[in-house]
Amino acid sequence: MFCKLFKMVLIVVLMTMPVILSAQEVPTALQIIEKVYDRETGNDMQGDLTMSLINSRGAQRVREIKQYIKDFGSMEKKIMFFVSPADVRNTSFMSWSYDEAGKDDDQWIYLPALKKVKRISSDSKSDYFMGSDFTYDDLGDRHPTDDTHKILREESVDGESCYVVESIPKDEEYMYSRTVSWIIKDKWIGLKKDFYDEDEDLLKTLTVKKYEKISGYWTILSSEMHNVQKDHTTKMELANVKLDTGISSNKFTERMMKRGL
Amino acid sequence: MEKILNKLLKKPWLVLVVFLIMTVGFFKVMKSNSRMETDLDKYMPQHHPAFVYSNQAEEWFNIKDGIIIAIENQDGIYNPGTIQKVKDLTKALQKMKEINKDDVTSLYTADNIIGTEDGMDVRAFFKSTPKTDEDMEQLRSNVRNNEMIFGRLVSNDETVTVIIAEIEDDVFSQEFYQQILKLGESFNSPEKIHVAGRPIVEGTMALLGPADMKRMVPIVLLVIILVLLAVLRSFKSTFFTLLVVLFSTVWTFGLMAAIGIPIYAVSTMIPVMLIAIGVADGIHLYSHLHLFMNKNPQASKKDAMLDMIKGMWKPVIMTSVTTAVGFISLLTSQVYPIKYFGLFTAFGVMMAMVFSLVLIPAGIMVFGLPRWKKHNNGVNENTQSFATIFSAKIVKYKYVTIIVTAVIIFISIAGIGKVWINSSFLEKFEKDSDIVLTDKFINENFGGTSTLNVIFDSQDDGAFKNPAVLKAIDKMQDDVEGTLQVVGNSFALSDYLKRMNKVMHADDEAYNVIPESQELVAQYLLLYEMSGDPENLWKVVDYDYKKANLTFQLKSDNSKAINSTIEVIEKHIPELNTLNVEIKYAGSGYKGLVFTDLILKGQIASLIMSLAIVVLLISLMFKNILAGLIGAVPIIITSIISFGVMGLLNIPLSTTTALLSSIAIGIGIDYAVHFLERYKIYATETGDKVLTSQHTMQHSGRAIVFNAIVVIAGFLVLLFSVFPPNRALGALVSLNMFTSFLGTVTIMYLMLFVSNIYFKRK
Repeated sequence: MFCKLFKMVLIVVLMTMPVILSAQEVPTALQIIEKVYDRETGNDMQGDLTMSLINSRGAQRVREIKQYIKDFGSMEKKIMFFVSPADVRNTSFMSWSYDEAGKDDDQWIYLPALKKVKRISSDSKSDYFMGSDFTYDDLGDRHPTDDTHKILREESVDGESCYVVESIPKDEEYMYSRTVSWIIKDKWIGLKKDFYDEDEDLLKTLTVKKYEKISGYWTILSSEMHNVQKDHTTKMELANVKLDTGISSNKFTERMMKRGL
Repeated sequence: MEKILNKLLKKPWLVLVVFLIMTVGFFKVMKSNSRMETDLDKYMPQHHPAFVYSNQAEEWFNIKDGIIIAIENQDGIYNPGTIQKVKDLTKALQKMKEINKDDVTSLYTADNIIGTEDGMDVRAFFKSTPKTDEDMEQLRSNVRNNEMIFGRLVSNDETVTVIIAEIEDDVFSQEFYQQILKLGESFNSPEKIHVAGRPIVEGTMALLGPADMKRMVPIVLLVIILVLLAVLRSFKSTFFTLLVVLFSTVWTFGLMAAIGIPIYAVSTMIPVMLIAIGVADGIHLYSHLHLFMNKNPQASKKDAMLDMIKGMWKPVIMTSVTTAVGFISLLTSQVYPIKYFGLFTAFGVMMAMVFSLVLIPAGIMVFGLPRWKKHNNGVNENTQSFATIFSAKIVKYKYVTIIVTAVIIFISIAGIGKVWINSSFLEKFEKDSDIVLTDKFINENFGGTSTLNVIFDSQDDGAFKNPAVLKAIDKMQDDVEGTLQVVGNSFALSDYLKRMNKVMHADDEAYNVIPESQELVAQYLLLYEMSGDPENLWKVVDYDYKKANLTFQLKSDNSKAINSTIEVIEKHIPELNTLNVEIKYAGSGYKGLVFTDLILKGQIASLIMSLAIVVLLISLMFKNILAGLIGAVPIIITSIISFGVMGLLNIPLSTTTALLSSIAIGIGIDYAVHFLERYKIYATETGDKVLTSQHTMQHSGRAIVFNAIVVIAGFLVLLFSVFPPNRALGALVSLNMFTSFLGTVTIMYLMLFVSNIYFKRK
């Protein structure tokens, strides 16, 4: 009698277990990507960015930049001032990027030697940012619905358990044929990302080297993009990061670009 | 030595079988291990400073030779069909495994730096083919307005556009070439597709030369067989003479294969040398035998052989050793293929010597004496009387001989002054060959198919952001392009900066100049990096702006074009030096020039050295310095006339033609030594100068004539070659044989006669 009851319970438990587990533990691929996309990063940010470009022969160029970013809801404004090298000091760059689908960024550059603010328009988001290995699109946030996502597996990277998610763009003309991201469970930070080119060959690998919780937000402080085809690497390091300091909205104007540091 | 040879004479069968087996063995090794080297970079001395630097620079700036594919449409390229083809062909090339995606440049991949209302933009000229007439017109005007593209990627009359695919040195193969041609063909009509560029020229040449040789050598051999038959009047003699050449060639190439040395283009000259030199021993041996049999018709073959070996082993060894030493002097060359050429030709010559001394007697022992045709004696008497008359006439008209020789030498020396080195690959092809015509077509429409890279080098950080330096470079570009017709175009960092300065000032032509301050230069470059594809920048300047690359496009790859360009460039060196900038050169065209120069200098050095060695060796052999000096006369005359004729007939020195002076040495020594040896023998025998002369003329003189006729006839066949360098080779080998022969029997003989050597005591 007892035996019979036990068997029945066991059968019920075994049958329902997968349903319970999946419902509670495993989000869908889209949900994972959305969580990354929606992760709070603060309303504004300022910091010193060091961008190091390293070519295949190991030659290195370092640029020091002071940057300010502010979220305006439907758009994000960013302004950057070059600190070094000396001959480009006070050159500034400003961009306004819009959430609205299909709307291109507005970009301006101020060349102190020319004493003029010039508008630059990039052909597309596939352009590389300042000669780095990051495209404008790599730096921005790609909307989760632009791709179809699939969980490939779960695995551990640097002691963090991650979801490995493959994203295939819905637009076939997109510069990547697919990307694969390693996303830390619970923190929703992408730890690593592989980019595949139009021919399905591995093009670039992005590795996040350092991230910290600053003012309550997970913030990426050091990352590295390695173009494996050209053997070119870009390191981005952020220092003196301050979040939610309430940067004034007039920081992001042509007048401020000209004023310099 | 004579004893060993006589011993071998007793076991002729064994000798023949052993040599045959060994030859088969070498042949098998040759068949399975031989490898052609078609990568021309492998020919260059890798440690020479000019090559080291050029190779480095090629890596710094990704300098590679480009395959140029031109798309021609008589009605203009701006129509959807042609523009679509530009895109499709570009993509097809990018997909080839031999080509890196980023190394393909066309209107589809090029950056268009344009001024916009309030700034600058770097865009693609088109991404998808313009569909409306309006968009097509926009594309046309965009190209027209961009001097970085117009005239470079699109011809001035807008009927041709080019796609340039740069490839690594070592990827070219016959299959790859066929693939490219096939790809081009598949895009034909209504457009016409043309394929050109240095990799195509280089690759085709590396394959065509030896292939043509392969086709011609059997015909050369056939002619030599026929002439040998006519001269020796015996199948057996012809057969064994040829066997000597054949065996020595097989052994030489077999040895090369066994050691793992690849066959270079110059290696094809080895059989040429062995044919020219190898038949000589046989002819001299049979000639001696023939004379002996005429005098002693009843002699047994054994006696005949003993006499032949006794009388000939010394000159055969002497000629072969001196010839071999002459070739070994090529080891002083800095160029490995030439070192190998010298070494292995020397080996081949020594083998030919062994085979002549061992195989020919063994052959006669086994197969019997050659049966000469009956009317021989009559002819022989003719020769005899001719030899007598000839030797007498030379002495009688000695001043005529001397004056004629002097005049010829004088004219030749004048010709030598005109000799020029040509490292051009293109000029090795027929003027009406596809490869030359395509090249001409592209040169007419664009800057040029050949390039010369000028590398600027400075110790100062950011030197190439300094406006003064950039202006100096720009000035050099203008000067070279303006002075020389052969230079069609140039491209450097200065072009980027001028273009940007212009578009940032509302396309005002007044700003098509180098910006005035270093800050502006730096900021433009940063701007370019922000909006363009910075990879393109690293083809003209390096990461820390301490090195820059200026590319000149030339309409010809010949040495005169490159040298004249360098000459104008060098005028700007003082100005650049004051700015702390130095210049060097790079690129395959320049390396070709240095390489040819090296070969020539090495060749002249080894010629002089081997001449000294030959004089020394002959002096030692004949124990007489005067004999040594006289013996060198045919070599000197042959070399002088050979180079003189090249100068007078405007045949440039190249890798192959430069090597021909080796033939002068090889053959010259042979003739001189045989002649001297006979003269010495007859002098001691007869003690009479006139009689000695007659006998020597009849014996050695006759053999020399035969030898010359055989080789000349054989090599004249090369005049029908489809590959011009092989034609020049045929003509020059024939000429060298002829002058060697003539020099020996006239002026050398005369000097010998007048000098009274071997008759001094009387």
